[in-house]
Amino acid sequence: MGQDLLPIVFASLAIGLAAGFVMHRADFCVTASFRDMFLFRDFFLMRQMVLLVVVSMVLFESGRLAGLIPGQSFPLLGTPTLASVAGGFVFGIGMVLAGGCVVGSLYKMGAGSAAGALVFTGMLAGSAAYAEIHPQWSAFARATVLVDDAITVPQWLGLSPAVLLLPLAALGALWLAREFRAGRMQRPAFAVGHLAPWRAAVILAGLGFASYLLVGMPMGITTSYAKLGAAIESLVAPGHVAGLAYFSLQPLDYTPPFSTRAIQGGPGPQLDAIAAIQYPLVLGIVGGAMASALRLGEWRLRGRLPRRQWLSALAGGLLLGLAARMAPSCNVWHLWGGVPILALQSLLFVAGLLPGTWVGARLLTRFVIR
Amino acid sequence: MTQTIDIDIRGQLCPSCLLLTLKELNRCGAAVRAGDAEIVVTTDDRQATATIPATVDRMGYGAAVERADDAYRIRIFGRH
Repeated sequence: MGQDLLPIVFASLAIGLAAGFVMHRADFCVTASFRDMFLFRDFFLMRQMVLLVVVSMVLFESGRLAGLIPGQSFPLLGTPTLASVAGGFVFGIGMVLAGGCVVGSLYKMGAGSAAGALVFTGMLAGSAAYAEIHPQWSAFARATVLVDDAITVPQWLGLSPAVLLLPLAALGALWLAREFRAGRMQRPAFAVGHLAPWRAAVILAGLGFASYLLVGMPMGITTSYAKLGAAIESLVAPGHVAGLAYFSLQPLDYTPPFSTRAIQGGPGPQLDAIAAIQYPLVLGIVGGAMASALRLGEWRLRGRLPRRQWLSALAGGLLLGLAARMAPSCNVWHLWGGVPILALQSLLFVAGLLPGTWVGARLLTRFVIR
Repeated sequence: MTQTIDIDIRGQLCPSCLLLTLKELNRCGAAVRAGDAEIVVTTDDRQATATIPATVDRMGYGAAVERADDAYRIRIFGRH
């Protein structure tokens, strides 16, 4: 299987490097886009997220209509359950407390932030800890299935995706054109080497599309956090890890583009298809952000944090790791991948993410940054 | 003489920069407005170089950003 996976490894690494570089230059933070709506009534970054979703929607659906993308959804998306709403809610609290999401913390860590590294450690621990509650949580998910024979809204309604997605994207484009004309998509920025967030949104949508074409699915990284967490845990408690049902699951089973053989992967510590797809993406994002910061002369190890912020970063990381397994998957997977094809699971995740962010913002201003 | 209030927020979690700047303006906004004081924020948060000037501009203050070694210095002053 090793040889088969090499194209995927290289594609993911290249996409990750480009994404990390772009996110650092634009400071393209999903957490800020949600948090700042509640904290400062600032919708600037949320408009950039809408742009990313609309461009992705057009690219994904055009790719499908042109025959470049098979099927109406991608691997690892499941049926919609209340577990996604609950996961999104906890995720929202976690990302605000951590000061960045599962991807944002990577590019911040790459640029030298010790807080980002602490969040990363918390995410590994939180993801591995999920395995302890998986039997109960998956029972909850099975008991709260909302629609059992559809992954996306078009499938649920029995419509061709184009009938729903293209008019929706056109409406989004009209609204965005108005926002551009009104000057609300750009603002003065003074950071050296700054990339306008709207440009970053378009590039990141392009990278998500590239991932869909080359890897077979948009960008996602959090199963690999459980995998790395499990690998570390098995150094101290191999028997315990081997006995946990969650780590023996193989939810990924698909035939990648440009291949004729199916590959499998799961959250267990072994090196499999999940490792081939997600580890290079994680490394790429960290490396791309590091390269960007080094080129600008801005890379420094930054570890001076008030005690409350250390605790907040660690707690945020733990919640992010746990929530990404409960949902399952993270904000980038759902927002940049699932929402553009109107995946039900992703829409439910966002429905939970919004109130979670609000609660997180309340906790942050009351207990952490005072 | 203008008093300078320094806040060093390097390394801290987002959005400490904007929150702590707003808190400081809350405390001594009148002196800044009158030209008796200036706030100087030192930060490594690239985003703050856009959000702080935009926010204080809406509140009627001026802001200037300059590079300071590996960080940025944002000066907030009264607009006369």
